[in-house]
Amino acid sequence: MSEPILQFEHVSKSFFGAMALTDITLAVRPGMVLGLVGENGAGKSTLMNILGGVIASDEGQIRLEGRLYSADSPAEATRAGIAFIHQELNLFSHLSILDNLFIDGFPRIGRTPLIHRREAVRRAKEALAAVNLSISPRTRVDRLTPGQKQLVEIAKALHGGAQIIIFDEPTTSLTSRETERLFALIERLRREGRTILYISHVLADVLRLADEIAVLRDGKVVRTGPRAEFDIDAMIAAMVGRQIDQLHPIRRGKPADKVLMSVAGVTEPGIVKDISFDLHEGEILGLFGLMGSGRTELGRILFGLDPFRSGTIDMCGQPRRRRTARRSIAAGMAFVTEDRREEGLLMEASVTENMALVALPNCRRNRVPGSLDRLTLRRSVDEMIASLKIKCVNPRTAAVKSLSGGNQQKTVIGKWLLGRPTVCILDEPTRGIDVGARYEVYSIINDLADRGNGLLCISSELEELVGICDSLLVMSKGRICGRFRRDEFDKERILAAAFEGHLERGPRGSSGASN
Amino acid sequence: MGSLRQGTLTAVLRNVPILMFAGTFVVFGLLAPRFLEYQSLENIAKQASYIGIIAVGETVVLLTAGIDLSVGSNMYVSAVAAGLLMERFAISPLPALLVCLTVGLLFGLFNAFAVTRLHIIPFVVTLATQFAGRGLGWMLSKSRAVTFPQSVTGLGAAELLGIPVPVVIFAVVVLLAWVVLTRTTLGRQIYAVGHGLEAARKAGVDTRRVQATAYIICGVLASLGGFVSVAQLGNVNSGFGQMVEFQAIAAAVLGGASLFGGIGNVFPGTVLGALLIQMVWAGLVATRTDLYLQPLIAAAIIFLAVLLDSVRNTVLARLGRHNIRVEE
Amino acid sequence: MQSSGNVTSQTRIARLKEVVIGRALLSDSFVLYLSVAYFVVLWVFLPRLGSARNLSNLSSNIWPLLVLVIGQMFVLIVGGIDLSQTSIMAITSVCGALMMTSGLDPELFAANPLWGVFIGEQGGPAGGSVAAAPVGIAFMLAIGTLIGSANGLAVARLKMPPFMVTLVSMFFFSGLAIFITRSENVRNLPDAFLAVGQNYLGRVPTARGPVGLVPYSFFAALALAVAAWFVLARTILGRWLYAVGMNRRAATVSGVPTDRVIVWAYAVSGFCAALGSVLYSSRLGAGRPTLGENVLLDIIGAAVIGGISLFGGKGKVRWAFYGVLFFVLLDSSLYMLNLKFYTVNIVKGVVILVAALLDVLRNRIRLGWAPTGRAVTA
Repeated sequence: MSEPILQFEHVSKSFFGAMALTDITLAVRPGMVLGLVGENGAGKSTLMNILGGVIASDEGQIRLEGRLYSADSPAEATRAGIAFIHQELNLFSHLSILDNLFIDGFPRIGRTPLIHRREAVRRAKEALAAVNLSISPRTRVDRLTPGQKQLVEIAKALHGGAQIIIFDEPTTSLTSRETERLFALIERLRREGRTILYISHVLADVLRLADEIAVLRDGKVVRTGPRAEFDIDAMIAAMVGRQIDQLHPIRRGKPADKVLMSVAGVTEPGIVKDISFDLHEGEILGLFGLMGSGRTELGRILFGLDPFRSGTIDMCGQPRRRRTARRSIAAGMAFVTEDRREEGLLMEASVTENMALVALPNCRRNRVPGSLDRLTLRRSVDEMIASLKIKCVNPRTAAVKSLSGGNQQKTVIGKWLLGRPTVCILDEPTRGIDVGARYEVYSIINDLADRGNGLLCISSELEELVGICDSLLVMSKGRICGRFRRDEFDKERILAAAFEGHLERGPRGSSGASN
Repeated sequence: MGSLRQGTLTAVLRNVPILMFAGTFVVFGLLAPRFLEYQSLENIAKQASYIGIIAVGETVVLLTAGIDLSVGSNMYVSAVAAGLLMERFAISPLPALLVCLTVGLLFGLFNAFAVTRLHIIPFVVTLATQFAGRGLGWMLSKSRAVTFPQSVTGLGAAELLGIPVPVVIFAVVVLLAWVVLTRTTLGRQIYAVGHGLEAARKAGVDTRRVQATAYIICGVLASLGGFVSVAQLGNVNSGFGQMVEFQAIAAAVLGGASLFGGIGNVFPGTVLGALLIQMVWAGLVATRTDLYLQPLIAAAIIFLAVLLDSVRNTVLARLGRHNIRVEE
Repeated sequence: MQSSGNVTSQTRIARLKEVVIGRALLSDSFVLYLSVAYFVVLWVFLPRLGSARNLSNLSSNIWPLLVLVIGQMFVLIVGGIDLSQTSIMAITSVCGALMMTSGLDPELFAANPLWGVFIGEQGGPAGGSVAAAPVGIAFMLAIGTLIGSANGLAVARLKMPPFMVTLVSMFFFSGLAIFITRSENVRNLPDAFLAVGQNYLGRVPTARGPVGLVPYSFFAALALAVAAWFVLARTILGRWLYAVGMNRRAATVSGVPTDRVIVWAYAVSGFCAALGSVLYSSRLGAGRPTLGENVLLDIIGAAVIGGISLFGGKGKVRWAFYGVLFFVLLDSSLYMLNLKFYTVNIVKGVVILVAALLDVLRNRIRLGWAPTGRAVTA
C-alpha cells in the first residue's frame, strides 16, 4: 500500500459565516484517479480551490508527499506540482500557444530579457507532443477548438511538471471525439504515475475513469470507496442524501393538436438549412445535436436574435416578419439562453430586479405614462419566487450572483414566466446545476406543458431529453436529420442520427457520454 | 458569400489602419500636390514625432486595459522643471533631459502606485494626476513662459544622417517598444494582463509589476515627448501639453489599439496612427482650408477612421459566426 | 455599583460611536455627511463662509453644475461616458446667442460665414422680438438634444466606443462653435434671457447690500432633478437604463430596446448640457464659443465623488447632488482661503483621489476581503 501523495486533514472553510467545508479528511494515493462528485454547493470546487492556491483554508492542513503544503497563489501551487484545469479555460485567446505556455517566463537569451525564440518553439513542440497535439505553437489560441484549447492547458500543466492534475468539469464543451481523446490522455497520465482529481456532473464518466470515488454533501465527505462499490444510483443517493426514484418527473401529459409555432424551410447559409417542424400546445419538443449541429443557433434564430435568409416562422397562425427579441416576446415567446451569466442575468442586480425585467412593459400604470406599477410588479415577483421555490435571503437586496447555480437558473426561468409566454425555448436549461435543482426545473417544464404551453428544449444531454420530452428532433450539420416520438425513443438510433453526415460513426455504447 | 469575396473582405478589414493611412495620403496628395513634397512630408514626420513618442507610451498602457490621461500635465511639469534648471543654473542639455525624464518617471510611479496599490481605477487616477499636475506646473513656472536655450532648440532642428533628430528619437523609441512588447516576457505579459487581469494572475504573472511598469514607461515617454516638443518650439507656456492625452489616445486607437486592452501594436499601428493625425493637419494646411474649418475636418476624418474600425470588428465577428465548429 | 456603571456607560458610548460612524461611513449619504462636516469645520476658521453673500454665491454655482452632472449620470448609468458635454455647451451657447442677439458689431462679425444669411447688424433671426428669449432657449435645448442623440446613435447603432465618439464630438463641436463666431463672444442678449442666470427670487439684506436668496437657476435644476429622479426610480425606462448598463446583452435578450435606451441616455446628456449652457450663458451675459472649456473635470469629479460608478449600472440623482455640493463647497472654500489658483488645482486633484480611495475602502468593508486578500475594487 503506497503512501498517500496528498492528504487533507480536517480542512474547514467558511464564507461570510456559512460553512462551505467542514472537517474534510481525505487521502489520495499516487497514480490514481479520484472522482469527486457532489451537488452544486457541496464544496468540491471550494476544496479544489484551496488545493490550487486560489483561496486559503480556515482550519486544517494539507500534506503533499508527507510534508505540510500551503499555497498562497495559483502560481505557488503550480510550482509545488499541482495543476488546476478549470472549466472556464484560462488561456489568452489573442495570444499564441507559445505565449500561453510560457507567459510566466520565456526561455531567455543568456542574461538579457530577450526571448530565445527557437528554444521556446522547441520546448513548446515537446509539450504539445506530450498531449498528442500536432499544431504549430505559433497558432493563435482563438483559432483552436475547445478540445484543442483544453489540451493546450494540459500541456501547460505537464510542462510545468505537474504531478497532481485537477480537472473541473472538463467535458462540458467537448465533442465526443475530443472527450475520448481526453480520457485516453488521462489513462496515459495515470500510467505515467501522475495523480488525477476528476470533478464532474457526468456520473457515468466518473464511473468509467475513477479508481476511487469521494462524494461530498453540504461541505462534508459522506462516502468514499473504490469504484467497484458505486453505481449511479448509489452516487446520487449519497449526493442528495435520499433515494431519488427518478431523475425526472413522470411525463403524463399529452400534446394537443393545436399548433402554436410553425417553422417551415428556415435557412441561414452556413448555419441552418431547411428547418421545418411544428410545436403543438402542451408539447415538450426536444432538440438534440452535437456541438456544431446548429442547435443553439436555431434557437436564437427562432427567437429573433439572429437573422435568417429564407423560410417562415408562424406563431399561432401569424407570420412573423420583422424579428427582434422584443417583438418575439410580444408575440408570446420566451428564450432561456445557454449562458445565464452572459445573457440571462444582471449579475450585480437583485433577484427582484432580474425577475422583473421581461414583464416590465406589462406593468404600466395607466394614469402616468411610462411609469411603473411597482406594487403589482413586486407582488407578482414574490409569488413567482415562492412558486419556483427560489432560495435567497432577501430577494430585493440579494445580488443574483450570490445565488447557487440552480437558484440562478430558476430566477431566469421565473423572469420569462412573468412575461406570460405561450412558447418557451430553453437552451441547456439544466447546465451547471445539481441533481435536486434539475428535478425542480423538469417539474416546472412539465407544469408549463400541462398548462398548454409549447416548449422547445435544446440540450446536449440525451438522457435528460429522453426523460422529459414528448418528441425529439435531431440536428446535425445545420439540418434536421431525425424525428422521434416518445414511443420511438432509442438512444443508439438517436445518437446515430446525430452523427449522420460525418465521416465516422460515433463511439457506441459510450454509457451516457452524450457530449 | 463566395469564399474569394469573403477572403478579400477579411483582408481589407484586418488592415484598416494601413488603408486609411494610404487613403488619406492619396486624397490630400491629389488635392494639393504640395503636400507630397519632401519638405512637407519631412515636416509631418517631425511634427508627429513628439505625439508619436507619447502615443507609444499610451499604447503600452492601453494594452494593459488601462489609460493615462495625465501625459499632458506630465509633459508640462517635466519641461518646466528642466527649463527652469537650465535658466537658473545654466545646466547643459543632457542633465536637463535627465531631470525631465526623472520627473516623468515620478509621474509614472505615482500613477502606478495609485492603480496597483490603492486599487483606484486608472481613469480616475490619471484624471486627478492630470489636474493636480497642471497646477503643480503652474506653481513652478508662476504661469510664465519658460524659454529654452539654443543648445536645446538646436537639437530640434538638427539632423542625424539626413533625418531630423526628433524623428530619429521617435524611431528609436518605437524600436525599443517593439522589442519589449514582442521579444520579452514582460511584453507578452502586458498583453496577457490586458486580456484578463485575473487570468494573468492565475497563470503566474505578477500583474502588479506589469501594470506598474506600463505606467512608468508611459510616464517616462510622456516627458521625453515633452522634451522633443520643446526642442522644436523653443519655449513652454502655461497651455503646453493641453489636450495631448486625447491626441495620443486617438493615435493609439487609430493604430488599432483597443480601449479594452490586449489588442494593439506599436509598429505599424501607433506609428501609422500618429502619422495619420499629423498628415490630416498638414493636408488641411496644404489645401489652404479655412483655419476655423480645420478642426472640424480633422475631427470628421478621425471619426471616419474610428467608424471603420468599429465596422471592422462587427463584420469580422459576424463572418466568424458562419463557421460553426463541426463534430469531428 | 458606581464603577461598573461608569464602565458600561462608557462602553455603550463607545459602541454607539462605532455604530454611528460605521453606518455613516457606509451609508449612501456619506458624501452629504462629509460635506456638512467639512462646512462646519471650515466655518470655525472662516466665519465668512456662512455669510449670506457666500451662501448665495455657492448656491448659484451648484445648480448649473448639477444640471450637467445629472446629464452625465444618465450616460454613466448605461456604461458610457460623454466627453462632449463641454462642447455642446459651447455650440448651444453660440447658436442660441446668435439667434437671440439684438445687435452685432460688424467689425467683429463681418467675416463670419453666417453674416448676411442668418445674422446681420440687427442681430439674429429672433433678435429684438418679444419671444426672443424663449425661442433662443428652445433652440439651444433642441440643438443639445440633437447632438446628444447623434452621439447615442453612433454608440448604439454604429457600435463605436463612447470614449472615442464623444471625444471626436467634443473636438468637432467646439471647433464648430469657434468657426461660427470666429472666436468672438456674442453680446446684446435679451433681458428676459439674462434674467434666467442673473436674477433671484427674494432678497436677503446684508451689511453690504441685499443679496439674492434663491436664484432662478435653482428652479431649473430642481425641475430637472425631479424629472430625472422620476424617470430613474419610477418608470420602465429607468429600469431599462440600469439593465443596459449592467449587462447590455442580457438586456437585449430580455426584450429591452437597448439601442433606443442608449440613444435616449446620450440625448438627455446633450439636453442637460444645453440647459447648463442656458444657465451659464445667461449668467455670463454672452454667447461664448469657449464656454465650458474647463468644466469637464468638475463634472466627472463631482460624479466620482458622489459615488456614480464609471462602469455603469449604478447612480442616483441625490448622489449627483451630494457630489456637486461637495465639489462646489471645496472649490469656493479653497478660493476663500486665498489659495492660489494652481494650488486649488492640486487640491482638487488630491481630493478626487482621496474620494476614489474612500470608495474603494468602503467597498472593501462592505463586501469583506476576497479570500486571497485581493481588494474588491469599486
